[in-house]
Amino acid sequence: MSSQGMGGDSRSFGRPSGRSGGGAGGRGGAGAGAGGKDAAGGKRYFFRRRKVCKFCADKIDYVDYKDVKLLSQFVPERGKILARRMFGTCAEHQRKLTVAVNRARHIALLPYAAD
Amino acid sequence: MSDRTYEILFIADPNLGEPEVDALAAQVQGHVEKDGGKLQKMEKWGKKRLAYSVRRHRDGYYVLLVAEGTGVMVKEVERRLKVTDGIIRYLTVRVDEELRKAERRKAKRALGEEKRKGRAGTQPARPAEVQQ
Repeated sequence: MSSQGMGGDSRSFGRPSGRSGGGAGGRGGAGAGAGGKDAAGGKRYFFRRRKVCKFCADKIDYVDYKDVKLLSQFVPERGKILARRMFGTCAEHQRKLTVAVNRARHIALLPYAAD
Repeated sequence: MSDRTYEILFIADPNLGEPEVDALAAQVQGHVEKDGGKLQKMEKWGKKRLAYSVRRHRDGYYVLLVAEGTGVMVKEVERRLKVTDGIIRYLTVRVDEELRKAERRKAKRALGEEKRKGRAGTQPARPAEVQQ
């Protein structure tokens, strides 16, 4: 469980930066070979892994505000909650996540903003 | 009014010693019980680093209490927590409803899996379900 958690952690940091890089090159083209063809106006290749809600996959029904290890996967260094489009959480779980993170913030388990 | 389950988590001053924290926890327990509440669980997490400074403290002593009681009880307990010296932050959360919902969903999922398994197997699914 803990090793799995770590995997999710590194991914959560890797994905946003990877995608923003793609945005700078060829708009939204995540596939490595697609960038050139994009500029030529050819077919645009969207190669994006389908993201599955971690909470659904792990069958977490109750998002606990006390579970810092779990929550911190969704709160990168800056202290902001990772957007749904980055991590692929479903609407329901994102909502629960937000509540849990805000509770954790109040009780100083998670930062409001990192300095 | 039926009783509800609440989690009361508070952070005590880290400069307090172990016995003083125990005394604080006992005090809170007393407030809970005075208003007809029932303590289910007490958990001391010990000294932890705070994510940001609260009242100029970088660390805090976390104590979690799980109690059954009414809204009136919570109101009184919160008021007491607010005025107690040595408690730098507290949080009360009602958990019974959420946990019940989670439980129900888990049961539903288990049932679905059972059905799927029954269908995948060569034995007919119906008798297996009846036995359950």
